[in-house]
Amino acid sequence: MIDAIASWMLQFGALNWLGETGASLVAVALVGITLFIFVAANAIVLVYVERKVSAFMQVRLGPMRVGPMGTLQTVADALKLLVKEDIIPQFADKVLFRVGPWVILISAFVAFAAIPFSPTWVPADMSIGLFYVLSVSSVVVIGIVMSGWASNNKWSLYGAMRSAAQIVSYEIPVGLSLLAAVAVVGTLNLQELIQAQAGVGNLFHWIPIPVPNWFIFNNPFLFIAAFVYLIAATAEVNRTPFDIPEAESELVAGFMTEFSGIRWALFFLSEYANAAVVALLTAIVFLGGWQSPFPDIQGARIGMSVLAVLAIIWTFYVKVKANRLSIYPLAVTVVLAVLAWLFPAFAQWLANPGLLWIAIKGGTIIFMLMWFRWTFPRLRVDQLMYVSWKVLLPLAMINLAGVAIWMWLTGAINLVG
Amino acid sequence: MGYFKNIADSVSTLITGMKVTMGYFVRPREHVTLQYPDEQWPNPKRKIGVGELDSYNVIRSKLHVDIDDCIGCKKCERACPVDCITIDTLKADKGEDIGTTKNGTQKRLLVTRFTIDMTECMYCDLCTFPCPEDCIYMTPDYRFERGDNQKTEISTVDRWRNRQNLIYEYATVPPEEVERRKEAIEAEQAAKLAAAEKAKAAAEKKAAEAKPAEKENPDKPEPGEE
Repeated sequence: MIDAIASWMLQFGALNWLGETGASLVAVALVGITLFIFVAANAIVLVYVERKVSAFMQVRLGPMRVGPMGTLQTVADALKLLVKEDIIPQFADKVLFRVGPWVILISAFVAFAAIPFSPTWVPADMSIGLFYVLSVSSVVVIGIVMSGWASNNKWSLYGAMRSAAQIVSYEIPVGLSLLAAVAVVGTLNLQELIQAQAGVGNLFHWIPIPVPNWFIFNNPFLFIAAFVYLIAATAEVNRTPFDIPEAESELVAGFMTEFSGIRWALFFLSEYANAAVVALLTAIVFLGGWQSPFPDIQGARIGMSVLAVLAIIWTFYVKVKANRLSIYPLAVTVVLAVLAWLFPAFAQWLANPGLLWIAIKGGTIIFMLMWFRWTFPRLRVDQLMYVSWKVLLPLAMINLAGVAIWMWLTGAINLVG
Repeated sequence: MGYFKNIADSVSTLITGMKVTMGYFVRPREHVTLQYPDEQWPNPKRKIGVGELDSYNVIRSKLHVDIDDCIGCKKCERACPVDCITIDTLKADKGEDIGTTKNGTQKRLLVTRFTIDMTECMYCDLCTFPCPEDCIYMTPDYRFERGDNQKTEISTVDRWRNRQNLIYEYATVPPEEVERRKEAIEAEQAAKLAAAEKAKAAAEKKAAEAKPAEKENPDKPEPGEE
């Protein structure tokens, strides 16, 4: 994609003086800036959404004052953080204290370089994309330990040590569960992983229910692997219920305790960038990334109709069970289905792979992460290790072996790479 | 087997919890949060057992005066056990109409000052019963906000200043009007005084004229004593 932008720039005579190298550098800068804007906007939007979701789940209202329905609240918060006094504790390690937040942010940020957003829109299409994403997101732990150590605060150090132990432990289930998916295709390239998930087939290849060819529906072991990955990844990005590194009731704010203002904002930015990376990676590896769930126009029409029928059933169920009318899912799906039948262009647009689908899938996963966060109680340190080493790790290993056996039994080896 | 039962239990209980939170999330907003200044709980109806006296059974949070209906009789000032009401009045000019109350009573006194010190008020409601015009009463307004964005000056030295925002002045007569009337009354009184003094002087003069004749007798020593 960098090459495409560079050659596109060189088509204009005015930019010829850049030369090939210069044009490439400018293209890299452009893509980087775009991604950074995406990461910043992502954090601002997600903080607002998280506050609203948590409020609704707790029968509250959430932010309501700044802007319509409180939509500008996080913008105001960000401005406040930017103008706050920059405080560094007197006995802190000044250099590490300054560097720590940036290490965390950058390691979260560079993971976006390998994420394919659409068939053509991938900042760097590398053959080891999955490996790269896993590697750079592990660097977060170094930044966390740096920040915790540099703060010269016992809570911060506790938080950093817990975080190191946690991330190192959960790397293994994450890697093994993703490896199960990689074993099906035989490639680490994220684009090829997504391309292998095109089309519609039977559920687990032999149950006659038509489902998209996503890896989560490919075989039962991958179905479990998807959940193992989601759980382990939640732990890897330090979100509740695995947020012991910043457990408020025990450690104040863990490794963030001594940070304020812009540095603290960097932590927030990286937290939500990490959540986005995890969600996008789940969508890419298990849910078909930018693939549309519908194979063609007819598929889109039938799919939307099935959704509308499901919504009608749901509405009746709610009406009978709780005696209240939930009209919105019904209205939205019926309107979309009617539009798909009336306008072939709309159905075609739905069937096209692209940014829309990866956004919907990633958004759903992020909502699930929030759902986890506001439902589950926090795990104790020993329980955390128990879940990682005694539950998720055996499960991931059995999954990996199971995928191999499944492929051998069914002969459904469709190597692409 | 305890290991697998543990996992199964964990998964099933977590799913139960997720159902609960999702139930609240998709439900129409049954929130309990009140957007406080915009919406408030209604004041509770209160019956404290004193018959059916409505004015007594109201929530007593702030004393209020409809100053247009006040005739300046000072009955509430006298009834107040803690002297938190201060009233000054001036007589209206002769032949001047300063309006009637809602009961139709002709007002004769101009209320130039009607101060209620809410820091001293003890909400006993005793001032409301003597009022002949029903113009002083308790309101359920517990917020005591001024509505003028006026910052309360907090002084640690002068405690009295901390109370200034809670001393309510209800009189609406402008100060220059009060000044004018006071001057007029003073002038009138001065004229009266002058007239009285004149009369007194005249009377004294008269008396002095009459006195010497009368006084000669008692002042004179008895002839026999000397």
